[in-house]
Amino acid sequence: MDADTKRIAAQRIQTLFRLAKEIFHENPSLAQHYVDTARKIAMAAKIRLPTEHRHQICSHCKSFILPGANSRIRIKQQREPHVVITCLKCGKQTRIVLRKKEEKQKL
Amino acid sequence: MKITPDIIRHEFINIETKVCRKPQASYAKISGKIIDETRNTFVILHKGKKKTIIKDLAIFQFKFSDGTIAEIDGKLLVGRPEDRLKRHVRRLW
Repeated sequence: MDADTKRIAAQRIQTLFRLAKEIFHENPSLAQHYVDTARKIAMAAKIRLPTEHRHQICSHCKSFILPGANSRIRIKQQREPHVVITCLKCGKQTRIVLRKKEEKQKL
Repeated sequence: MKITPDIIRHEFINIETKVCRKPQASYAKISGKIIDETRNTFVILHKGKKKTIIKDLAIFQFKFSDGTIAEIDGKLLVGRPEDRLKRHVRRLW
């Protein structure tokens, strides 16, 4: 895959996520369609979705989730500080461990 | 936006468009924003109504966000949105 294709794919993903966010409250199914297309583009171009967009997709049911609308975000301190994202569509949870930059470098 | 053959690999959703060549009367004077795309069609929001236009039959005039206007034959745009990404077209002009 050449660099040009990857650049265009990244641009398209950015656009589709922006539009999905804008249109979500009026037409959730169309927003979901945009996000599905964005995922397909990322897979076709063999690029990873940017972190901010990856957290907007439920890792279990792949639906577009927005905090306050159809997802719940909580910070927990047990064991290790982490964020819990609950998808209110499928009810499943995703955990993201919070580590400082220095700690990550040590590992 | 720079007008190169690579233009067909970009995203067309949310771009202002106008149907130029009309193979049938129902396509006349259709213009508006593209809201959806499938392999063979574009869905255009024309005066609050959704109009499905077959890509293969029409010629589209796109107006990009920076004011560039490009007229593209719909035949070149046939293909699923994720497959169009890898399409290479020989320079035709």
